[in-house]
Amino acid sequence: MSNTTPCLEFDHVSISYTRRLGDGKRSTFKAVKDVTFSLDKGGTLGIAGESGSGKSTLAMASLRLLPKNAKVEGTIRINGTDVNELSWGKLRALRWTEESIVFQGAMSSLNPVQKVREQIDEALRIHVKQKPQYASESARAKRINELLADVDLPVSKGDSYPHQLSGGQRQRVMIAMALACDPEIIIADEPTTALDVIVQAQILNLLKRLVAQHGLTLVVITHDLSVLADTCERIMVMKSGEIVETGESANVMTRPKHPYTKKLASAFPTIGDWSSRLKLPDYTAPDAPGDQGRTSRELAADGTPLAELTSEGDAKDAPIFQMQHVRVDFGSKSSVVHAVDDVTMDVYPHEIIALVGQSGSGKSTMARTLLGLQKPTGGDVKYEGAIFPRHKELKEFREHVQFVLQDPSGALNPKQTVYELVAEGPRIFRMDDEENIVYQALEEAGLSPASDYVDVLPQELSGGQRQRVVIAGALALHPKYLIADEPVASLDASARAGILALFLRFKHELGMGSFIITHDLGLAWNIADRVAVMYQGKIVEDGPAEQVLLHPQHPYTRKLLSVVPSHIAEEGIEEAEAAETATVPGAADAPAKVAAGTADHA
Amino acid sequence: MTADTTNATATPTASPTAGRAKPSAAEIRRRRIRRQLAQGWKAFSANTPGLIGLIVLLVVIAIAILAPVLVPSSTLDVTKVTAKAFEAPSSHALLGTDYTGRSLLGMLVWGARASLTVGFTATIMSTVIGTLIGMAAGHFHGVTQAVLMRVIDFFLVVPSLVLAITLSSIVGASLLTIIISIGVTSWAGTARLVRSETLTIEARPYIERAWALGASDWHIIVKHVLPAVMPIVLSNTTLAVGSSIIAESTMAFLGLGDPMVISWGSILKSAMDTGAATAGYWWYVIPPGIAIVIVVLAFTLVGRALEAVVNPTLRER
Amino acid sequence: MSETIPASGAVPAPPADAMSADERAAEERDARGGAAGWGKYILTKAGGALCSLVMVIVLGFFAFRILPGDPAKSITSGRQVTPAQLEAIRHQYGLDQPLIVQFWKYLTDMLHGDLGTSYVYHEPVTRLIGERVGPTILLTGSAALLSLLIGLWLGQRAAWRRNTTFDRVHTGIALIFWSVPTFWFGLLLIFLFSGTLHLLPSGGMMTAGTSYAGLALVVDVVRHLVLPVISMTAVSYAQYLVIMRSSLLEEMNGDYLTVARAKGLKEDDVRRRHAVPNALLPTITMIFMTLGGLIGGAVTVETVFSWPGLGYLTYQALSAPDFPVLQGTFVVFSGIVIIMNFLAEIVYRIIDPRLRK
Repeated sequence: MSNTTPCLEFDHVSISYTRRLGDGKRSTFKAVKDVTFSLDKGGTLGIAGESGSGKSTLAMASLRLLPKNAKVEGTIRINGTDVNELSWGKLRALRWTEESIVFQGAMSSLNPVQKVREQIDEALRIHVKQKPQYASESARAKRINELLADVDLPVSKGDSYPHQLSGGQRQRVMIAMALACDPEIIIADEPTTALDVIVQAQILNLLKRLVAQHGLTLVVITHDLSVLADTCERIMVMKSGEIVETGESANVMTRPKHPYTKKLASAFPTIGDWSSRLKLPDYTAPDAPGDQGRTSRELAADGTPLAELTSEGDAKDAPIFQMQHVRVDFGSKSSVVHAVDDVTMDVYPHEIIALVGQSGSGKSTMARTLLGLQKPTGGDVKYEGAIFPRHKELKEFREHVQFVLQDPSGALNPKQTVYELVAEGPRIFRMDDEENIVYQALEEAGLSPASDYVDVLPQELSGGQRQRVVIAGALALHPKYLIADEPVASLDASARAGILALFLRFKHELGMGSFIITHDLGLAWNIADRVAVMYQGKIVEDGPAEQVLLHPQHPYTRKLLSVVPSHIAEEGIEEAEAAETATVPGAADAPAKVAAGTADHA
Repeated sequence: MTADTTNATATPTASPTAGRAKPSAAEIRRRRIRRQLAQGWKAFSANTPGLIGLIVLLVVIAIAILAPVLVPSSTLDVTKVTAKAFEAPSSHALLGTDYTGRSLLGMLVWGARASLTVGFTATIMSTVIGTLIGMAAGHFHGVTQAVLMRVIDFFLVVPSLVLAITLSSIVGASLLTIIISIGVTSWAGTARLVRSETLTIEARPYIERAWALGASDWHIIVKHVLPAVMPIVLSNTTLAVGSSIIAESTMAFLGLGDPMVISWGSILKSAMDTGAATAGYWWYVIPPGIAIVIVVLAFTLVGRALEAVVNPTLRER
Repeated sequence: MSETIPASGAVPAPPADAMSADERAAEERDARGGAAGWGKYILTKAGGALCSLVMVIVLGFFAFRILPGDPAKSITSGRQVTPAQLEAIRHQYGLDQPLIVQFWKYLTDMLHGDLGTSYVYHEPVTRLIGERVGPTILLTGSAALLSLLIGLWLGQRAAWRRNTTFDRVHTGIALIFWSVPTFWFGLLLIFLFSGTLHLLPSGGMMTAGTSYAGLALVVDVVRHLVLPVISMTAVSYAQYLVIMRSSLLEEMNGDYLTVARAKGLKEDDVRRRHAVPNALLPTITMIFMTLGGLIGGAVTVETVFSWPGLGYLTYQALSAPDFPVLQGTFVVFSGIVIIMNFLAEIVYRIIDPRLRK
């Protein structure tokens, strides 16, 4: 770094938004409060924070992309030039050629009616003055093919429309587009959100390679700390517009100083780290192992913890659900999708089982089949020994097995108060003493004192609180068992621990087991007794949690573990790189499979 | 990707019960409704055009109700008229007279009754039919939905005025005919809107949660779909009253209305029939139309304001 | 306001999108399969259109037969007839046959292009309609074109400059025009330009008692066309303005526009190359559907201006009532609208790549 001028510099930057409310008054909101940092050429910085922390605002501000009602104080410099002092013409020339942004590869980030190739072409055409080598159409076409190859996309994909690409492919297109004009600085804003762990790893490796290849200065913005650990030298943690901690990434991840950072870090536990096994910031399970792991006395011959064996022995009285050769197919005769493909599995009432898999693996479908919301195409689902109840008995069944959905904001009718939401179940079943039931359920879900919450509307609550309301609604029916579909996926990291603690609590205090669907292996490590791994509709591995997570047998499980913070990942960095050219059949570049459309391979 | 500007509060800020009191379910419900109405009113009143429209409407409705008082029907009896035909506005007939010598101002006041009555009744009819069928078409699947969709599409596609003319010509000219014609032909638009809303609502996770809680079809429709659909139906209805009034005046103009009933459309019909337009009798031609424009505009403004209340993203429009 | 009464349900700003997200998703599922998807799509839509058409034809017949009253009396209205003569007339028009036989005759005749004989003019209805289709298309076509051009252009400009004076003024004017009954506006124009200023003719398509040819004819027709077209345009441009404005406003929230700006694109180009084309998609479908309504609205304008088209024919048929004519125009009007809607669905599929696969 012989160049003394930093590449990117934020000097006491504050950004505020002014909104005109419905009644005519104005409200000012400070999104960024006095942020200062600088990045030298070739440096990599990760900015971590939850939604509302101001991190994306920083990215937008660097290219003056904020809406008109935003006011920027302080100085932002790119290669020494003050961005806010530039004329429009000079600003437009600087955009994309000196700094570009890799936006999240969502559908909405690309023009839906233009081919992907045209959109990259546009970037080249705009900057013909600065890059005259791309004046001719053939030169541009060649450049586009180069870019596509650089991001590991087949050239033919350039002729696709955005909706024809998978999430991972779209993200690669966004990266290719950002590189089009050879910028020095790249800001990646949530480049891996909404992607599967395996695809995430691929995209991150791609970014690392490109940074090294082109000598780029990189800023990665994300809510997922584990993403930053590998890719960035330095990490900056933001909360509510302020920087709360900054330092070398290894230090920030392993020895966080600020309590908020600690909370963020705890959301991404390392599998194999005993301090996070059955232990959460709010609650420690009675059968949690000590910090050094299980002693040999606690282990059976094959490595299975005895504790799990005996608890399973107790619970092995009778399975609550039995699935036998269950199949659920979607789609027409010409394009059938086997969402659940010949699954045979027993589920026990007092344990927490985590069903792990990528999106499109069929796990949500399986949950809905167990709940009776989805009819299986073939095979049997037995509840308490009898073939799944129909009609009238189905309603009774609902009192015993309840459901927690993924997105708490969508799961609550925005026009009803918390009381009415929790009371919905009891009202359907015409339970007596509705008020007491509701208050008690709220307390059990951790919303205490309940009377503070009963009048409140969902929009006035945080994500974590909303999820507690959903859980309270489920508890109000006094169920025996809970089925949860990605219960913490939509929540901020800080709310995650509280919700997971609830599940542990329910198991130990109420004897209520749960069936938790998740893509997050860390969650399984945190609270699950048993782990089942699902891949393309089939269960590829099923066993006690510690056994599956610490000694995985199936190659797919190993692959999953290799791309999340885990002992396996630490052990085999080479394995992680080999994961890019995976030999697991179909995991890379597999065509989208599920009719509901979220398969995310490649 | 647009920078996040909202901040969900960590603790509920709007809880009126800070103390240990445990309010009852009914109490909670009452408080919620009061809050929502107050919020709605606040948003509505911030919309100046909407307020103006509302005031105008209230005035016009008052005039219509008080018509017998303001303009005794005896003054409009053709046999008892004292003034001459086609008189220009003067002190005793502020808006001149029609072809029989009746005061045009008086006729305008009475005409408000017919126009508003038809407007409201026809719209209520079409709204009720449209909402019911729309919800059913959105909620049920399979054959029921296919059949309902066909029916809705049919009524959407048939040019309404032509259908109304057809019906009126068959069944005869009267106010009821007009009401039924309008009601029967305009419900399809509401149904389509309601169906689209119902589909959107039922795709939301909280409906799935209700199923998981053991709800029946009835519960879903009545407790979730209907309350969510009502605001949109309300704003749509308000706008629809405006179109109904125009439709009524058009049909009266074409001679499909009851010749005995005075409505703004019938006034204009006689204006055309008696050649008042070409003869240049402006008081005959202009005021009735202006009356229609004012009332329909008022309904439109109120309807748009309601839309903005219902859908906050529209507030900046 | 366009004369389509039910359009009020779907049209008032902002419009319900031409197809809701779910309908589009269903459409997408239908559409998968490439070329095979196309064929299936066209067949489904054509089938739907045909179904509606059949319903219209059937309704057209039965509606007029369940009426109270005797068609024979309408045919001979105003004249003194003996019961025997009435009977003869009934026989002549086939009104004494059983309903099912009449219906069959009606269907088969229709397939041959025979829509019956007018009670009033004693001419084949088909011929009457044929003579008048031209003027109607001339009138509605011109009005449609004009309204579209003005409405779409103003609408997109208003959306892009949201809440400026331009926007407020034009949205305001549009709302006012929307509240104006077309026939009254027509009367007003006649009153102003014909009755008072004597600038333009007050009715008809050509000046009576003359026989122009060539350019003189064109000028004469255009002079007669001006006021009716202005009447129709004034009310429908407002509709298109509002639709376009809403579409564009919704589109302006798109993230891909921010990406375009980040690439260094000029604001004007962002609007022209990205926002407007995308906003046009739902607009185009809505336009086709409301075009159908415009045609129905021709009835009032033609009546006010005595324009010799299908609408005026319908009005004149009301007084008798001349049922074969009413039946015929009902079927023809509805048929045109059904075809317009069918075309709309085809066009939408062509222009939106998301529906192809």
